[in-house]
Amino acid sequence: MQKETLNRLQKLNQLRLTDAEETNVLSFFAAREEEMNILNSIDTETVERMVHVMPIETVVREDKVIKSFTREQLQAGAPETTDGYWQVPRLVE
Amino acid sequence: MKYETVIGLEVHIEMATESKIFCSCSAKFGAEQNEHVCPACCGMPGMLPVVNRHVVDLGMNAGMMLNCHINRTTTFDKKSYYYPDLPSSYQTTQWFAPVAVNGTVTIETANGKKDIRIKQIHMEEDAGKLVHDDWTDTTLVDFNRTSVPLIEIVSQPDLSSAEEVVAYLERLRSLLRFAKVSECRMEQGSMRCDVNLSVRPEGSDKLGVRTEMKNMNSLSAIVRAIEYETARHIDALENGTEELVQETRRWDDIKGKSFAMRNKETAGDYRYFPDPNVMPVVIDDAWYDSIKASLPEFPEVKRARYIDAYGLSEYDADMLTQSRALCDCFEAAYAECKNAKEAANWLISDCMNILNKSQKTADQLTLDGKALGELILLVLDGKVGRGNAKKILIAMFDEKLDPAKYAEEQGFIVSNDTGAIEAIVKTVVAADPKSVADYKNGKEKALMALFGKCMRELKGNCDPQVLQKLLKDTIDSL
Amino acid sequence: MKLYIAKNEGAVGKRIALDDMILTKDLPTAAGSRMLDGYMSLFDATVVEKAMAAGYAIDGKLNVGEFGIDLMGETSYYGAIATDGHLVSAAAAAIEDGATAVLSLDVNGAPRRAAAQSGTVCVKPTYGTVSRFGTVPAACSGECVAVTAGTAADCEALLDVVAGYDAKDGTSLPDALRGEAKPIRRVAVLTALTDGVDAETVARIEAAKAALSKNGIEVAKIDGGELIAARVAWNILMSAELCNNVSRYDGIKYGYRTPSYKTIDELYTNSRTEAFGAFLKTVILFGSETLSTDTYMKVYDQALRVRRVLVEYFKSLFETVDAVLLPACSTCAYEENVDPELAFTENLYTAPASVTGLPAVVFGGVQLIGDAFSDKALLQLADLCEKEGK
Repeated sequence: MQKETLNRLQKLNQLRLTDAEETNVLSFFAAREEEMNILNSIDTETVERMVHVMPIETVVREDKVIKSFTREQLQAGAPETTDGYWQVPRLVE
Repeated sequence: MKYETVIGLEVHIEMATESKIFCSCSAKFGAEQNEHVCPACCGMPGMLPVVNRHVVDLGMNAGMMLNCHINRTTTFDKKSYYYPDLPSSYQTTQWFAPVAVNGTVTIETANGKKDIRIKQIHMEEDAGKLVHDDWTDTTLVDFNRTSVPLIEIVSQPDLSSAEEVVAYLERLRSLLRFAKVSECRMEQGSMRCDVNLSVRPEGSDKLGVRTEMKNMNSLSAIVRAIEYETARHIDALENGTEELVQETRRWDDIKGKSFAMRNKETAGDYRYFPDPNVMPVVIDDAWYDSIKASLPEFPEVKRARYIDAYGLSEYDADMLTQSRALCDCFEAAYAECKNAKEAANWLISDCMNILNKSQKTADQLTLDGKALGELILLVLDGKVGRGNAKKILIAMFDEKLDPAKYAEEQGFIVSNDTGAIEAIVKTVVAADPKSVADYKNGKEKALMALFGKCMRELKGNCDPQVLQKLLKDTIDSL
Repeated sequence: MKLYIAKNEGAVGKRIALDDMILTKDLPTAAGSRMLDGYMSLFDATVVEKAMAAGYAIDGKLNVGEFGIDLMGETSYYGAIATDGHLVSAAAAAIEDGATAVLSLDVNGAPRRAAAQSGTVCVKPTYGTVSRFGTVPAACSGECVAVTAGTAADCEALLDVVAGYDAKDGTSLPDALRGEAKPIRRVAVLTALTDGVDAETVARIEAAKAALSKNGIEVAKIDGGELIAARVAWNILMSAELCNNVSRYDGIKYGYRTPSYKTIDELYTNSRTEAFGAFLKTVILFGSETLSTDTYMKVYDQALRVRRVLVEYFKSLFETVDAVLLPACSTCAYEENVDPELAFTENLYTAPASVTGLPAVVFGGVQLIGDAFSDKALLQLADLCEKEGK
């Protein structure tokens, strides 16, 4: 894997690795890359993908409002709130 | 050189449901910040999504109104990106199998009719709202809108002018309001539009560099944005003022300009994958047919029918077909009273007046059409006077009631007791010899004054023709 | 050693412990991560509600590896689960301590592996039979709430309590689908998965075969090499889903927020970088890459197709046998400081049931995988074999 890819992945996932961590990640990716051979040796050309292992479908609910918790409860563990809003640094658009 | 503009639209419309798409919070507009929020829509661990059935109803409904093919198996996928208005850092949407594909919308402009192809309609959850506070240099986050159900209608690049775009959006709004999918109110953000625009020499079959514009919140802003962006593209092509790049731009309606949005290196890699927590939704024949059967006539079909079958004027037909609620009420009232002109008049003048006074739109009409028909019959049969009928109508806007019963309770029933009417007529006539003399001297107005006095004494509960006759007879016999 | 991250000293009567992936409103839930250190859920998991309604008291919350991915529990923010340098099973320790049973989220097989290591019994039920509502999501397409206990009978008793349809979990199976458990008469040993395990594990497999035979179960042998791909497919699916599920932890709504930030990107990146462990970061980046536009079809989609191949393979196996016998780990003795990457190789034994949603029962240090809904039949067989051993 390219260093470039690793940088892109860190940005994409809002993470920053140390040099030592980067080395570990590169070897981890290499091991995963190698084991892909096992998957690629399986012919899946005519196989449909399987997202859900159990054969149920159309799990829906009625359009009904159920009030759950108060704003105060939901924000009790918030790092920073103002006037009932969660607060973050000013976004530049 | 002459240029042509190529435009495709992505229109987001909030669906008119009671609750959100994957949780049971209220989806209604206008609550205090973060009052319509639960652990699911503020991204807390442990909650699992369960699809609101009515969202699928409305998604199908929209698809059918726009002549789409409905995917009988429709699935949900996750789209990942970081933004503070997206509490889970993923949006659940439809990437692989959207509810509806391959439709058409016919628009009409000064240049005639044109079909605009619809690529797809997908169902998804809305994001939250950000409030930027310049004083404290912070951004405040409100998740009320998070997970409110949306449909995104993606057109093919078949539009070529601001005029066509406006016609297209108005057509979408009319159709989706009629189908009760959404109120489509741009000012409340329940209808939003991203414009993909490129410019090319006329006759060329190669598409130019495309930009995507966001943040227009009215039709007039969309027109201004398209005109500005078209001019910018042409200027760049003709004069080389700048190099056009494929990018997302933000329309600033105050400055009248579009600006490139902060270009994230990672933008576009949304890592879509099927949501393991949401099972495929399979639309069986019974479900499909029930939605098909519930579809309204297209507004122009209704309009023609009102004119041809009911004999309404073009004006009345236009007024009624502005709103599905008016049409529904009109049709129910007509079914009861069998008098289309009366039903149309009551709706267009009296009902609209009442709505206007409480600052409501025609779509917000909740009057029971059958009851309106009954009220009209009471008037036509001479059982209730028009003035009193209007009072009953006002009461009918406040509560569901039986007009005949209410009229009786309020003493609004026209009296058939000619003896009692005659007694009042005699008293009134005796008390106003001047008017009697004036009438006898040929002043018709004097008779009207006497008639009015009698009507007031009778509290309106009298057949005007009966009163007129008794009054004339009484004066003549003097 | 950190066994409990929160203990309810007042618990009396029939007590159960929960692993730290199961949300409780009266005790904190951290999922082994600094990100959620001290996090208080507003609600209890459905399994907790059901257990309490049946008279169980909650003993406390057991330490887990960060978001339940690593098999040994060493990546927990609270430190490794170990005694005298030997990694131990937190569940077994809680049972030793008097808990009747333990509920844990089986993301990648850690509870099954711990049961094999400690000689307890663990059932990872058929996917969808036990609600996941109120569990910290990691790899939703395969993870299940597992039950660990000292005996198969205790396991079954708690499984009966927590299983059942839950409208709050959109993947929960209607009870009517579950049907009667078919008794198990024929078991096949998967030789391809028994190769390369240590002598002690071989001995356990042999003991289990003997116990099965004595109970009139026909024991056959099949290669089962097809199942080696299960771990590779699960590595991809698990990592991608995990990457997506932990993206919600961003320092805004709750949980850890970095003290040093000026911009929103610094808030995000610093919070996540400071609060997540190195191994979790590795898994997130790998999962993200499997979903990238360029790799999606040849990596993620291929894993989903292989999942179907594996489900079909099991289906064909279950036409001739009722269950398969395999190890739950290649060796049971681990010292501290193992490479967490073992979670992506040692799951050779646990991934087949995770990726297909089939039920698995670990007892006597070995594992049985049966057809969908055979959970109770597997436990009853384990019960017979346990009695044989005594």
